[in-house]
Amino acid sequence: MRRLVLLMIVLVGLALMLQQPKLLAQGQFMANTLMPPVPIPADNPQTDAKIRLGAQLYFDTRLSADSTISCATCHDPRTGWANHGKTDTGIAGQVGGRNSGTIINSAYMRYQFWDGRAPSLEAQALGPIHNPIEMGETLENVVVKLNAIPGYVEQFQEVFGTDVTTDGIAKAIASFERTIISGPSPYDLHLMGDDSQWTSAAERGRDLFNGKAHCSTCHSGPMFSDQSFHNLGVGFDGENPNSGRFNETNDPADFGRFKTPTLRNIALTYPYLHTGSEQTLMDVVDFYNRGGIQNDNLDLLMFPLALTQQEKEDLVAFMESLTGTIPEVPIPTFPEGPGLPADPGGGLR
Amino acid sequence: MSIKTLFLLMLAPLVLVTLLPSKASAIPVFARKYGFECTMCHSTYPRLNDFGQRFRMNGYQLPGMETLEKDITETSVPVAIRTSAGYNNDNFDSTQTSNVDVNEFQVNGVDILAGGLIGPDIGFMFVYPPEINSSRGVAGQNGAIESANVIFSNLGSTWFNIRAGKFEPAYVAFSNKRHLSISPYEIYDFTFPGGPAFSDNQVGVEFTGWGRDGFRYAFGILDGSETNGSDTAPSDYYVRAAYVFGPGEGQTAGQRIGVTGYFGQAKPLASWQETDMSEQSFDRWGVDASFNVEQWNLALQYLRSNDSSELWNFSGNVPYSGGFAEVTYTPTIKFAGFTRYDWVNASSILGDITRWTVGGRYYIEDNMALHLEWSRRNESDLSGSDINETLWTARLDFAI
Ligand code: HEC
Ligand code: HEC
Repeated sequence: MRRLVLLMIVLVGLALMLQQPKLLAQGQFMANTLMPPVPIPADNPQTDAKIRLGAQLYFDTRLSADSTISCATCHDPRTGWANHGKTDTGIAGQVGGRNSGTIINSAYMRYQFWDGRAPSLEAQALGPIHNPIEMGETLENVVVKLNAIPGYVEQFQEVFGTDVTTDGIAKAIASFERTIISGPSPYDLHLMGDDSQWTSAAERGRDLFNGKAHCSTCHSGPMFSDQSFHNLGVGFDGENPNSGRFNETNDPADFGRFKTPTLRNIALTYPYLHTGSEQTLMDVVDFYNRGGIQNDNLDLLMFPLALTQQEKEDLVAFMESLTGTIPEVPIPTFPEGPGLPADPGGGLR
Repeated sequence: MSIKTLFLLMLAPLVLVTLLPSKASAIPVFARKYGFECTMCHSTYPRLNDFGQRFRMNGYQLPGMETLEKDITETSVPVAIRTSAGYNNDNFDSTQTSNVDVNEFQVNGVDILAGGLIGPDIGFMFVYPPEINSSRGVAGQNGAIESANVIFSNLGSTWFNIRAGKFEPAYVAFSNKRHLSISPYEIYDFTFPGGPAFSDNQVGVEFTGWGRDGFRYAFGILDGSETNGSDTAPSDYYVRAAYVFGPGEGQTAGQRIGVTGYFGQAKPLASWQETDMSEQSFDRWGVDASFNVEQWNLALQYLRSNDSSELWNFSGNVPYSGGFAEVTYTPTIKFAGFTRYDWVNASSILGDITRWTVGGRYYIEDNMALHLEWSRRNESDLSGSDINETLWTARLDFAI
């Protein structure tokens, strides 16, 4: 009997050993996966004509009140489809309150914006146009302006079978954004068995990310985001911290919670956090190593990590290995029309 | 099964680990479930870090992520095995008898562990050391279930959780099961003849609660029958309150202080006390603290006991006290060093115990540690004789 029990244990042990890599990869929170195909909503299928139209709208400054600002002004392809300002400067030099998110891979995110107030790219796309400090235009006026441009009316007819509508603008821009997807990063290549760009520092960093530093509890899955909201205390060291997700839900538990952003291409999109308060990835790691910023609603996963300098560097090296190839999109030519002309430079600063 | 066969079989997983290509670090139950490294929950295993402590408090669910949790039917096999094997040199040197030197290569303890979620907010933990008869090279263990408990968590809020079954009670401020050293916390093991060691797992029901303000409480009722030699199950009670300053649980972050009280009933051991076999009371009072600075931890425990004289077959109440001070240094996830001073002051009954321990663990893999430890224990009894034990051990500790 005893012999049998022992034999059983040893056999179970061996089975577990051999199954290990497979079991581990199936682990629920492991960030160890490649990106799945881009999710496309059923009511807005991708077509070439729609994507072309979306690209024009994305770079067209005429979507703003004074024809100076396009989406690309703040989400600049040259700076990781985000920008390096702490917070953003919109129309007439007005400064917003939050750091711009990147457009890259935003198609994979369940929620848009730091507080998740837009449930889809379509729902998001119109926001900046009529935001008084971003593009400062009204939606009625944008529709009137674009309907006066024959080149746009033609394309809308071809793509949607209608004149220019807000719905069409949103769908076309969203379709274009769904093409801004990063290619394989050194980390992805490593997962596919190509270690040519993989370093031992990144390897150690990955183990810390997924262990001692417990980053992967929140930055989980293929996008390194749990697609949820957490309170790290960002902004709670200043006056009037933003209430974040609470604005949307009115649930006190959501006070000061913000969306877990993707960490893919994170090295490109400094400065960091919704306030843009941390300049480098090392600064962000230091922020976590201090345990975030104390407040009544601080996430239970936030406490000092006792990371050594070497460990911090390894974590940064791992995050740097998440930078994939970034799609390059030439600035389109814009259809001409009456009124202020489009900036041929696509609104880039 | 012959010792040699057993030993070879224990060694087989090790050989495999070294032979398997790529990163095949073997990972037990929870790590496997989530795809995490062991260091997610253990500063250096088996010691829990703050994350692990919160995970345990939250009924084996990631704090704040309860809705994302999967139960055991949806996850990988929730089974793991832990064991260690190595070389011991145990030297006993007494003023009364001649020097005894024990040198052995041993497999020490095999635990089968299972744990996970049965459903939302219903966790369980099961630890079973199968029966092994001691023989040369293999330390014996009896086959009793060490842990088998269910925890219902977040009943309304984090302030209300219930654990039932056989478990490690929350009054044990520093787990005897999850400390780094091989040598035990002396004061936790010290008790009247036949009595329960303070750190023993017990059968009962425990209520716990915790909040963001840093306050933690626990109280419970235990059926003390298994360890105190009575079939009539006298119930024991305990309470504990702790407070953590700063974010964390005081394991590796935050500063924790705690107080504990334990009120027990027991019948004297028959062979010890022949005259009065009625139930007697005993109690324990403790204060503890855990301080953290960077990679350093200082753990302090002081425990005072008051046992009724019949339990010791003495006249008058029998007070004794003791504690330990332990420093742990964890510069990286690869290494932990520790040193501890243990003392028990029981001069009115048996004498005094002191122990010095120094050790280190090097983690070859996430789940495999090379353990080196030296410990010297001195026991001086009332007759004035002194027993010195010096333990040297080098072993490999691993879990799959
Ligand atoms: C004045 C600068 C500015 C302009 C112009 C602008 N944005 Fe943004 N964008 C931001 C800022 C700042 C945020 C983050 C705001 C927040 O989350 O509350 C953001 C967030 C987003 C996000 C969500 C990213 C994420 O990770 O949640 C998307 C998608 C986006 N913008 C698309 C667009 C599109 C499409 C346009 C043009 C119609 C546009 N933006 C114009 C500044 C700008
Ligand atoms: C409790 C969940 C949680 C944990 C744990 C966590 N993060 Fe985050 N992370 C977030 C959230 C939420 C944000 C956005 C916070 C904000 O701006 O208010 C964020 C932001 C970031 C950013 C900035 C992203 C940007 O676009 O500005 C980086 C970099 C980052 N985290 C890296 C890490 C690393 C490295 C770790 C481990 C040391 C970690 N995170 C652990 C939830 C988490």
